[in-house]
Amino acid sequence: MKAREFWLLFFPSLVVMGGLLVLPLLRTIQWSLEEVHYGTPGTFVGLQNFVAALTDARFGRAALFTVVVTVITTIILLVLGYIVATGINRLTTSRPLVLGIMLVSYVLPNLVGAVAFSWLFDDNFGGVMNRLIGFFSGTQVLWFTDQVPNAVLVIANTVWHMLPFAMLIILAGLQGVPAELREAATIDGANAWQTHLSVIIPTIRGVLGFVTLITIMDVLRMFDNLIPLSPQAASIGNESIMMYVYSVAFADGAQKLGLGSAINVLTIILILVMLVPFIRGIFKEAKAER
Amino acid sequence: MTLPDLDLSTRAVTTGRPAVRGRAGTRPRRPVITGILLAILCVVVLSPFIWMTLSVTKPTDVAFANPPVLGGYEPTLKAFVDLWETTYFADYLVNTIVVAVVSTVIALAIGIPAAYALSRYPSYVSALLLVLALIFRALPRFAVVLPMYDISRALGIYDTTFALAIALVAINQPFTIWLLRNFFADIPRELDEAAMIDGCTRIGMLRRVMIPLMGPGILTAGIFVFLFAFQEYLTALVLTDTSSKTVPVFIATQLGQTLPMLQQAGAASMLLTIPVFVIAFIAQKYLVAGLSDGAVKG
Amino acid sequence: MTSRALPALALAIGAVLALTACGAGSRTDNENATKVSCSYKAPAEKTTVNVLAYNSSAIDPFTDTMIKSCTTDKVTLKHDPIDFGGQVTKTTATLAGDTGTYDILETYGFVIPGFAADKKLVPLNDLYDKYAADYGLDKISESMRAGMSYDGQLYAIPMQAQMYVMAYRTDIFKELGLEAPKTFDDMIAAAEKIKAAGKMQYPVALPWLATADVATSYGAAMNSLGADFATADGKVTLNTPEAKQALESLLALKPYMDPQVTTFDQPKVQQQLFNGTAAMAIMFSGRMIDLTKPENTKLSADFGFAGAPKLTADAKYSYNRLSIDGWSIPFNTKLDHDMLFQMMASAVSEDASKAAVPAAYPAREGMVTAKNSPYGEAANDSMASAMPPIVSPVLADVTNAIRPTLVDVLNGKISVDEGLAKMQAAGEQAAG
Repeated sequence: MKAREFWLLFFPSLVVMGGLLVLPLLRTIQWSLEEVHYGTPGTFVGLQNFVAALTDARFGRAALFTVVVTVITTIILLVLGYIVATGINRLTTSRPLVLGIMLVSYVLPNLVGAVAFSWLFDDNFGGVMNRLIGFFSGTQVLWFTDQVPNAVLVIANTVWHMLPFAMLIILAGLQGVPAELREAATIDGANAWQTHLSVIIPTIRGVLGFVTLITIMDVLRMFDNLIPLSPQAASIGNESIMMYVYSVAFADGAQKLGLGSAINVLTIILILVMLVPFIRGIFKEAKAER
Repeated sequence: MTLPDLDLSTRAVTTGRPAVRGRAGTRPRRPVITGILLAILCVVVLSPFIWMTLSVTKPTDVAFANPPVLGGYEPTLKAFVDLWETTYFADYLVNTIVVAVVSTVIALAIGIPAAYALSRYPSYVSALLLVLALIFRALPRFAVVLPMYDISRALGIYDTTFALAIALVAINQPFTIWLLRNFFADIPRELDEAAMIDGCTRIGMLRRVMIPLMGPGILTAGIFVFLFAFQEYLTALVLTDTSSKTVPVFIATQLGQTLPMLQQAGAASMLLTIPVFVIAFIAQKYLVAGLSDGAVKG
Repeated sequence: MTSRALPALALAIGAVLALTACGAGSRTDNENATKVSCSYKAPAEKTTVNVLAYNSSAIDPFTDTMIKSCTTDKVTLKHDPIDFGGQVTKTTATLAGDTGTYDILETYGFVIPGFAADKKLVPLNDLYDKYAADYGLDKISESMRAGMSYDGQLYAIPMQAQMYVMAYRTDIFKELGLEAPKTFDDMIAAAEKIKAAGKMQYPVALPWLATADVATSYGAAMNSLGADFATADGKVTLNTPEAKQALESLLALKPYMDPQVTTFDQPKVQQQLFNGTAAMAIMFSGRMIDLTKPENTKLSADFGFAGAPKLTADAKYSYNRLSIDGWSIPFNTKLDHDMLFQMMASAVSEDASKAAVPAAYPAREGMVTAKNSPYGEAANDSMASAMPPIVSPVLADVTNAIRPTLVDVLNGKISVDEGLAKMQAAGEQAAG
């Protein structure tokens, strides 16, 4: 393809991405080094915002909460996604129905799903789940004011929202496992558990890696579902990083836009660091293909 | 894996009939226990919606009663009627759909040529693209959206559906291009040349040959962009106010209201859920193709 | 087969629900709103006036009257439904820059000094003098106008007053031989009796939402003792014995309230009463009328109202906040101030105010009595026993600064003394 043709085709997309992704990013980096409000030029303060962010206990709590929830959610999603995908793999005629139902929680806006989810756990809205829990165990769980139950609630909602995604991808990956491999394992005397562990999972590890990657990326940025599920996030230490940025850089009239931008930059660095192993893997595979 | 292969394996995922014919004469047992467990799972997954449906169709005095009232009342659609008639829900819904449609159209219009152009480059470009797509997707959205807020206020396009739509186009471009590029890469280059021998320009060939061939791939990318725009809350929260408010933003502003208005918020949620339900069924195949394509081809 | 049937079914349901859309638009059939005369000089081109006001049974009559009466073919008044927290956020956002989204703001006495000092609201003295006669604005009580003024200028037209009113279950109280509580000790005694009778586990409910209302409750407790977070000249007074006593009184009530009370805004406290999980609640008067409506609850006939109680029998004032709600013009609106003022004035005219009773307690003299409002007598009692509000531009900032620590003390995370020290320090830093 001639270079001229390439640039002609690529140009509009490049303009949009450059103007609306790269430029704002540069602006955020600029703001992180300034003390600034919207609409007015800022004053340069060097690394002051970064120091403030890193010494802020609230940011530490937010980062800890976000990372812990991400790790736990990813593990649960991998295990549960694998189990459900294996189960669905056995169905034939009812599969589209089950897939369709399972997809609903993924396709709906995260916020709407979280609102519906929260109504089950709030006594002011009937609290159906609380009734069931009380019936079976006799204890009362404070889902919205205790830190750990609230974290469990958030994790449960995130898993509920992302399970269809994980399950679908793993299901697709399972299609690529040759039947002969499974048969060979059975012939060798492996039971179901061993077959899964030693044969199937290693075969689909690329797919599992992909699920892990996307889950980590998405859950690290969680925001929408915390609005209904954790209205007191700040006071119980269950803020996510994005919630903290929102409250610091936007909600209260953006008093601390510089600080918020510094936190954004720190988060970008954090995410890039977590992505490095995956990026290296991708480049390695690309090289191998060549 | 070529496009027909992908189609076959997608069908394999959604229907369970193997892409490669298995040994003749082997019929698996009907998986009863699995079926029951999955049925329970489906009910659990749907339970928040079931509860919300019940709550918004009850008269206000029993809607949020504790202990929950499960019968003995007359279901009513008053919450829906009130939602349509006393709030600007119609506007919000129109805004949401307009933003999603405009995003999709623009995203495809600029993404298809770009993806095609990139697909004709060697595979390390693909790896680079994937990395970039991942990085941009992984970015904390505020890092991009807050400056957009500033710029849109300065330009006077704050609180317009256009600003929100174009913001979403940009945010989802890397993923869109990567997805489309993978589909394009399956179409052999010889086809390009064959079409151009007849005197077609590159762009003409793109229009008349490639795009029809790419039908399923484009549909898949379109559905994804539509869904991403439709689900968006954070960007809409920052970039809209009264004129271009979308339904998720509206629902979030109702969380501290009194009973009747909470029911209306629930009604709004149900009105969003139902078309989504339909999409999930009809567009299953395309969603699977898009999701699995990325995973399997990586 | 099933996979086709389900989407078809869903589409059908969707169509039915969409049919309820016939009539999509903005109907305001509020029975407490009315149409009044609203004449103003309209601009030449089509205009939209954006009104920011939260929804509640007390504010809606005035908002709806304004929308109904002042909308013409050329001029549309637009009011998006929004909850109180949303209004607070949007008010800050719209006043932050040179251009804003809203043209008429609902404001209340607590935030007026801060906004006025920052020059975020349009001073209304001139417009008031111009239009007072036309809209009968001089009948608005003098003290309420003072409550919405700062530094000699009026910054909002008062529409209504809100004060804490106690709502309680008359049936339960009668059954157990209890009288309406007059002090916090009475409340505790009543709660003990209700618990002992096995009726409710947490008979008391107060709006203690950790991100907003809880600080108002603490302020009300201090007001009962004749103090507040700061004095009129900006000195922070959280290291005083009154501050400690108020905090301890609140803590004494906590065991009788739901453990998740720090998630309760006023609608949730209403919910507690509706569900019969609480027997006593103290909230702003604007939330009282909902308790008497049969469409909200089966218990609507069982609620009685009393004036706000005192912290102790010898306290000077009651546990109370007198809040005046009104309409303001933001400094950055592009529309004609005259027109906006006339719209706001028409919404608080005599007819509008009369129609708003009993949902609201209008700012005009003598509108609410025991006869025309189920909680009228309680509201008047509360008004009489409330401490006159302290006007200081630092109060809002101090309140925001101390709120997180206050929540920690009430949740038992830190001790009272430690909490007071932290709050004093935070308050002093915020007051600057």
